[in-house]
Formats: sequence, structure tokens, C-alpha cells
Amino acid sequence: MSFGRHHLLGLAPKLRQASVSPSIIHRSISSSCCSHAEHKPTEHKPTEPEKPNYHHNEPLYSDMKLLHDRKGPQLPLYTDRSKDLERYKKGPGALDKAVHVFFLTEIFRGMWIVVENFFRPPYTIMYPFEKGPLSPRFRGEHALRRYPNGEERCIACKLCEAICPAQAITIESEARMDGSRRTTRYDIDMTKCIYCGFCQEACPVDAIVETQNQEFSTETREELLYNKEKLLANGDRAEAEIAANLHADHVYR
Amino acid sequence: MVSLHRTLRNLQRVGLREWWRQMQYIGDAKSGRFVGKDQFGNRYYENLNAAEEVPGRHRWVDYAQHEFNATQVPPEWHSWIQHIRKDPPSSDSVMQASSPPWKAPWIENLTGTRGAFKTYNTTTPKINAWEPKTRARQ
Repeated sequence: MSFGRHHLLGLAPKLRQASVSPSIIHRSISSSCCSHAEHKPTEHKPTEPEKPNYHHNEPLYSDMKLLHDRKGPQLPLYTDRSKDLERYKKGPGALDKAVHVFFLTEIFRGMWIVVENFFRPPYTIMYPFEKGPLSPRFRGEHALRRYPNGEERCIACKLCEAICPAQAITIESEARMDGSRRTTRYDIDMTKCIYCGFCQEACPVDAIVETQNQEFSTETREELLYNKEKLLANGDRAEAEIAANLHADHVYR
Repeated sequence: MVSLHRTLRNLQRVGLREWWRQMQYIGDAKSGRFVGKDQFGNRYYENLNAAEEVPGRHRWVDYAQHEFNATQVPPEWHSWIQHIRKDPPSSDSVMQASSPPWKAPWIENLTGTRGAFKTYNTTTPKINAWEPKTRARQ
């Protein structure tokens, strides 16, 4: 019977790891013994050359392709039932399972986790002082960018207006005094915007971008009806962050 | 707040005055490396020791204003404190190179005040009211 199995109760390894000070259970990612993924077995044989011991060591096939391609000698996956029982032969027996069922060990293991976390420091991030991680691709408040010489990028091609699924963008354009086509109206209704990021994907000149600013909540709806001046001002203020994020991301595009 | 040991340790490290300020604002005693200070006087700290700070709480800001607000962090430091960039803007060469000369000063979110954004039309109106022009009577 394996009622007192340490690895099942989950108690002994944690207490063993608290070697820094035994009264405090430290929590960090490196010292956590919780593992839901399958790992390599811990017994290493240093004399043998290291062989990758992956869980899925059979090559990948497309099942549909194998089903349609019946001429080959290879049977489709999951038709070979001979090895199905083998994976259960190393597992616990019926008596082991019955003990865990009738003594409610799973409930006590779950309650032990609750007790452990009761004595641990909380995970709470004190928000305005500490902030959670954000991606450089995060899609927040919109901004219109400028070229490094200060010329506005938007050429009023209206691709963002066309692709916008929420139809939040409204553009009107005219020729400027020097003959170049620019927008006279670039309105984004931020209450309609769904922050899908299609506008910045569609933009051929990287003019409309979604910045990483997520703290633009307003008191009234009217403040969220952005016009071109507001969007250009957003871009002027956050250009360093936008450009640095685009620089960090450009190798993946 | 979280443990007496941690509070006393950080109190010993940062001193009584700073500890009192932290308890009034952050509500927790924290100690770490001073990373930098932005143009508004907000101070930024970091503690990468996972045994002292839970991962995710290892970067924090000490706001200069009493009426603190998350948008008082300028965008360069915003990308550091939200873990978008590894290095603070004072030592981030990419961030410094991408700062244009026409960069506008950062303004915090002014909603609820008289400085709140109020939208307006940027085009000339297409429909105008009829203004009758009568010829002067002879």
C-alpha cells in the first residue's frame, strides 16, 4: 500500500527545500516542486551518452493522410492496440486506488495545499506601484506617428478604415498646400474599438499604431472620441516607447 | 504586512523615514536597488532576489506626488516598469536612440479635471446654414 507515498502527499519535498530558514516556506519558480509536465527520469547514468527521452518519440504523421494512403505497409496511428496495456502496467494497482478513494486522500491533499498557501506571502501586485508584465505587442491606446523629421506618416490611404471590423475609424482627406494628400479628419471612436490591431497591421507606413498605454480610462464617453490632434499628440508623447517596441519586434515580422 | 520578518528586514535596510513613507503609499515595506528617477521625480526600484520579492513584484515606483496615479509614469519608464524592456531608459541604447527631438512632454491622464480631452471637428463643415444675401434696395 502506498498511502504514505511522499510524492503523492506532496508534503515532504517542500519541507526539504526550505533550507534557508525552516520557519518560512519560500516560494519562487525555481524552488517549486509542482510539476504537471513529464520530465526526464532523475536517475542519470553519466557513463551513457545522453539520449533525448521525449514522451512523443514516434514521428509525427497526419492521420488523415495515413487513412487515405492505405497502400503503404504502415498502419495508421492508433490502430496498433498491442501497446495500450503496457503504459498502465507500471501504475498503481487496484488496491492502491481503492485506498485513495476510501480514505479521501485527494481531499486531504487539496486541503493541505490550501493550508500551505495560507502561510505564504500573497501574490498580490500592488497595482499603481508595481505592474504586471506586458508584451511589446500589447494593443492599447492608439497613436498616429511621425517620421523622424517631424512629418506625419499618415497618407490617408484609408486601409485602416476599410479593415476596421468595428468601423470605429473615420477618415477624410484633402490635398495639402504642397500637393501631398493628408487626412483632414482621422477620428477613432474608442468606445467602438475592439483593440484587434488590424489597423496597425493594415497600415503601409506604420502611421497608426496601438501603444502600450492601457491607462487611458475616462470619466465620460465624450473623452474617448479621439480626433486627429489627440492621436498625433499621443504619438508625439510616446514615440520613444513605440519606436523601441517596433524595433524589438521587427525581427519577427 | 506579509510577514514580520520581512517588514523588520526592510525597515532595517531602508530606514525609518523611508519605511514610513512606503507604509503610507505602497502599504508594504520594500527594499531594493535604486534604478533611477524620471523627470517628474518618481523614483524606481528593483529587487531581483526571488527569496525577498515574489516574481512580479520585483520592480516598483515611488510616486513623487501625493495624488499618485498610474499615468504619472512617463512612457520610457512605463515600458521598464511593465517589464516590456529589460533595461531602464537611462541605460537603454535603443530607447535613447529612438527619442526624436520633437518629442512632446508627457501629460498624465487628466480625466475628471478641466484639462480633460474634449473632442472637436478637424474639418470644415460640409453643410452650412443658408445665409440669405439680399441686394440692397435701390
